[in-house]
Amino acid sequence: MFETRRIRSKVLLQILLTILVIPFVFPLVAMVQGSLAGSGWGNYRTVLSLPLLPGFFLNSALLAAAVIVIVLICTMTAAFGFSKLHIRGKEIYFWALLAALTLPEVVLLAPLFATVTRIGAYNTLWAVILPVAALQVPFTTLLARNFVDGIPNELLEAARVDGASVARSFWHVILPLTRPIMAAVVVLVFINAWNNFLLPLLFLQTPEHQTVTLVPSFFVGQYNNDQTKVLAAAVLTGLPVVVAYILLQRFFERGLAAGALK
Amino acid sequence: MLFSVGLIYYCIIYTGYISTLDWDGASPLQENVGADNFARMLQDHVFWASLWHTLVFFIVTFTVQVALGLVFACLLHSRLYLRTLYKVLIFIPVVLATATTAPVFRQIFAPDGNLNDVLRAVGLGGLAQPWFAHGTIALLIVMSVQIWQSTGVVFVLYYAAISHIEPEILEAARIDGAGDLRILSSIIWPGVRGTTIAIAILTAIGSLKTFDIPFLITGGGPSYATEFLGTMIYRVSVSLSQVGYGAALSVVLLVLAVGAAIVINAGGRRRGGADV
Repeated sequence: MFETRRIRSKVLLQILLTILVIPFVFPLVAMVQGSLAGSGWGNYRTVLSLPLLPGFFLNSALLAAAVIVIVLICTMTAAFGFSKLHIRGKEIYFWALLAALTLPEVVLLAPLFATVTRIGAYNTLWAVILPVAALQVPFTTLLARNFVDGIPNELLEAARVDGASVARSFWHVILPLTRPIMAAVVVLVFINAWNNFLLPLLFLQTPEHQTVTLVPSFFVGQYNNDQTKVLAAAVLTGLPVVVAYILLQRFFERGLAAGALK
Repeated sequence: MLFSVGLIYYCIIYTGYISTLDWDGASPLQENVGADNFARMLQDHVFWASLWHTLVFFIVTFTVQVALGLVFACLLHSRLYLRTLYKVLIFIPVVLATATTAPVFRQIFAPDGNLNDVLRAVGLGGLAQPWFAHGTIALLIVMSVQIWQSTGVVFVLYYAAISHIEPEILEAARIDGAGDLRILSSIIWPGVRGTTIAIAILTAIGSLKTFDIPFLITGGGPSYATEFLGTMIYRVSVSLSQVGYGAALSVVLLVLAVGAAIVINAGGRRRGGADV
């Protein structure tokens, strides 16, 4: 993009880039450094030896898995329907769905709280799974619909001529072709579900039911604000998403870009 | 057919269910006191302050993110070394939860934290101070954390948008003698306008939704200097148990969010039409 044919300009640009990246790296370095301060790796040992810790991770993993399953089923069927089926007034439904994109979750606090206590889901993972999944569906549906729109109708017609039912052509034609977008949806949803803070904070009261995003606050209470342990816990909770991101980098960026560009 | 259509409708109804349900959940409380909650809001200086913070927050974060994101995107489209490494570094803050990074920022800006250490190390010890104690600075911190966290998204969007610009156009401009800055302002900037509008909408909604960062880092303080609508709703309805007032605030927030999206979208389209 920028002129890099002369060595001098190339070096200048490289330096500029490095300087600009420093503020982004600084907090990460401070985080790791801080977590090693004091008793060094001992901080990690203390955090890891906490008997409740596997529970936090297990809850987050369960939460993420359940949300992914729900969102994936809703998104793929909805995208197929909106894109390829003839349903009366489907555009109206689609816009209604998109309006939900602007819905801030904090708005839902009071009503959700009332509902959750009424159906007795308070302090169970379901109280978090259902709202988190519901809040993801609009965005992922938008993503997936754009993708399914790109699949030629002729393929479906050919399937129908060959005697396939709608369910069958969804299963055997659409699903195999939409694997890339499904991967992007899974990654996006995983990160959002794993990182959600507000709903677990509100709906999960006992440590046995809480998720990893609450671990740092838990340590603030437990260890009387011992920064090094809090930071060690933060590094540990952040690690899975960073690893997931690095492994699935391509899907992730493609998914994000596809969603906002269309 | 029944299976898939059923599921689609289930999704629509479920989402609709969630979004109508909150109104039903809240409205009995609202109706009992009539419009009192809204009247109270108009007189509540914290409400106006939080609106003002949201506006400042939006303008600052949007400007900085767009500038940074665009520069990063252009730089990483140039032939430089270690591009993947830089990309990953810029994007890691996006995937980390605010809950995970908040303790670090609290430490960096603490009176004996890293920032003051760095300032002392470079001989600017006089500037070292308890950063969270000043309202304006605390707000700046909240904004910088937001910028730190979401520039990665902006960058990825611009990066994708720039790869859609045809290289021939750039080459033609080069041959015509356009420099880097000229190319940036005359070809790339107009070329990514659609993306900029999308980012404006995302940032506007994001500013209205701001909750995690102020809640976890400053707790809305000192003396409401970093109070946003999101933290205010939480404080009012959970900490103070005034669910009705919280719900009234939520209604305003929702209207603002939808309104902002419509206004920005319409504005962007109209300008787009005039340019073409």
